[in-house]
Amino acid sequence: MQRIMLHLDRCNGCLTCTLACAAAHSKSGHIIGAMMEGVQSRIHIQSVKGKAVPVLCRHCEEPACVDACMAGAMQKNPVTGIVTNDGNEQSCVGCWMCIMACPYGVIVQSKDGTVAVKCDGCKDREIPACVEACHTRALEYMDVDEFAAVKRQETAYQLAKPAV
Amino acid sequence: MRHVIIGNSIAAIKAVEAIRSVDRKAPITIIADEHGPAYSRCLLPDYLAGTRSEADLSIRSRDFYRQMGVELVLGRAVTKVVPADREVELAGGLRYGYDRLLIATGSSTFMPPIPGLGGNGVFGLRSLGDAKAIQSALPGARRAVVVGAGLVGLEAAYALYRRGLEVTVVEKMPQILPQQFDRRAAHILRQDMETEGIRFILGCGIQEVAGPSLWSRVMGKAGQGVFLEGGERLKAELVVVATGAVPNVGLVQDTGIKVNRGIVVDRFMQTSIPGIYAAGDVAETRDAVTGLYGLSPIWPNAAAQGRIAGLNMAGVQREYSSMVGMQNAVEFREVPAIAVGIVNTPGDDYEVFADYRPDKNYYRKLVMKNDVLVGMILVGDIRSAGVLSGLIKKKANVRTFKHLLRRPDFGYGHLLVKLA
Ligand SMILES: Cc1cc2nc3c(=O)[nH]c(=O)nc-3n(C[C@H](O)[C@H](O)[C@H](O)COP(=O)(O)OP(=O)(O)OC[C@H]3O[C@@H](n4cnc5c(N)ncnc54)[C@H](O)[C@@H]3O)c2cc1C
Repeated sequence: MQRIMLHLDRCNGCLTCTLACAAAHSKSGHIIGAMMEGVQSRIHIQSVKGKAVPVLCRHCEEPACVDACMAGAMQKNPVTGIVTNDGNEQSCVGCWMCIMACPYGVIVQSKDGTVAVKCDGCKDREIPACVEACHTRALEYMDVDEFAAVKRQETAYQLAKPAV
Repeated sequence: MRHVIIGNSIAAIKAVEAIRSVDRKAPITIIADEHGPAYSRCLLPDYLAGTRSEADLSIRSRDFYRQMGVELVLGRAVTKVVPADREVELAGGLRYGYDRLLIATGSSTFMPPIPGLGGNGVFGLRSLGDAKAIQSALPGARRAVVVGAGLVGLEAAYALYRRGLEVTVVEKMPQILPQQFDRRAAHILRQDMETEGIRFILGCGIQEVAGPSLWSRVMGKAGQGVFLEGGERLKAELVVVATGAVPNVGLVQDTGIKVNRGIVVDRFMQTSIPGIYAAGDVAETRDAVTGLYGLSPIWPNAAAQGRIAGLNMAGVQREYSSMVGMQNAVEFREVPAIAVGIVNTPGDDYEVFADYRPDKNYYRKLVMKNDVLVGMILVGDIRSAGVLSGLIKKKANVRTFKHLLRRPDFGYGHLLVKLA
């Protein structure tokens, strides 16, 4: 199992990860096509006092979004550890319970307001599109145990982490 | 270790998954009075509206029970728990023995003592059976009255409206969603539904539900409907009662298991009798915001409680970290709204930030006490809901970044930078 680690200091806000994410989730598979199709990125860059801050899904061990999902659509894959509401047997109804539940705020409404959209860990790719596209190595794909060890040191992560 | 679980909804399912995550072998039996596989009650309004099929209400795959190795006893009600024998008894006297028991029986529609409520054409909306009963009453029905403007009432109203009925919602309190939202948020949400053509009568109770014979006696012509407290009469072929729910605790009466309104559990979801656990709508837990014991009859909490109960039943000691009992997300027509925690301040020792723009269907309210966020309402723009509700749940001190919370785009990025 692998997770995406963020090195905040390395991010220069180039947004390439968001474009790559949208492209990877578009029908056409490329950036221009993604823009024409209006595909949303599932990784978000917030601007905080002029500093670019990527906000991305942690694929939590005990995800609050999965507990909150009243349709059974949001599931954590026991093998890959990926948490997604996409491609599972039950479909998302757009009730926004997961948006209310995610302490990292990484789940958003789709543009047409019908379903919740979040990182699906690029389950069909070897390396997630955002990681692959990141020139500054602010995003790094690493083993889940190593990831957890680093995260334990991070104040904000610990503050937000689902408690149940 | 033999596990018996009473109930087959989200708390029960989560308990099964939790037990199986640590124990592949222990026998698990689910006993439930409903017939089919586990489904989502929350989706019943969509089923009623005709936009979601019965099969699409299921919350797990078809072979879930087989995969999990669960023995299913469906369509049978447990009438009593017998702790002395470590057994539960079904109607008819059949008994099942357990080592660990989980009571996850949920709740039932509360029927207020109003004359005529037992008559034809009057329904609750709690189970698939209820939804089917309403559906079969639809042909020939032109008008509906929904009693109660809580979450279930409004969802029912919108579903019936989508079925083409003329719908009137009657609510005793002066606003809709009186338990979840404040007056201002309720105003925006009501207008959103009124635009669609749903009618509201607020601050008024129901005096009597009048069947055809009473109606024709009083009105002098055929019909049926409700009589309001103020004397007004509303013709309606269909009445949905949604004035609340009561936990299904009947089966533990006189067992010594401690019950207030629901079954009281400790931090490990265990009742006052060792080996017997409770989770979901039927359980009383400590609220993360108020610190008080009470029911928290919402889906996410039932899920989390079921999971924690299951782990403890399987021998893994895990504490339930307390959840916020009051947290709801709604969207009836097109305005999304989320409320969490204390939104109507009970005293003046609260600090409130409010940005209210009803013309834009926008409202942001934050309630703080001693620099701790204890409640919020977001209408129209719900982007920061998760991060804010996380702070509420964690009782985080927000003194150093309070001003940031006001921004509609406040997010985890702000926390990351602020706390780096
Ligand atoms: C119309 C509607 C809309 C809702 N919308 C939302 C929403 O938007 N968000 C939200 O958070 N929550 C919502 N809820 C509430 C949510 O559905 C409940 O909190 C949740 O279902 C509780 O799950 P539970 O497992 O505790 O019990 P329940 O879902 O109530 O299930 C109880 C189970 O116990 C069984 N049972 C009961 N008594 C016995 C007995 N004596 N013997 C054997 N079996 C028994 C039943 O058959 C059933 O399987 C809604 C509820 C309704 C009705």
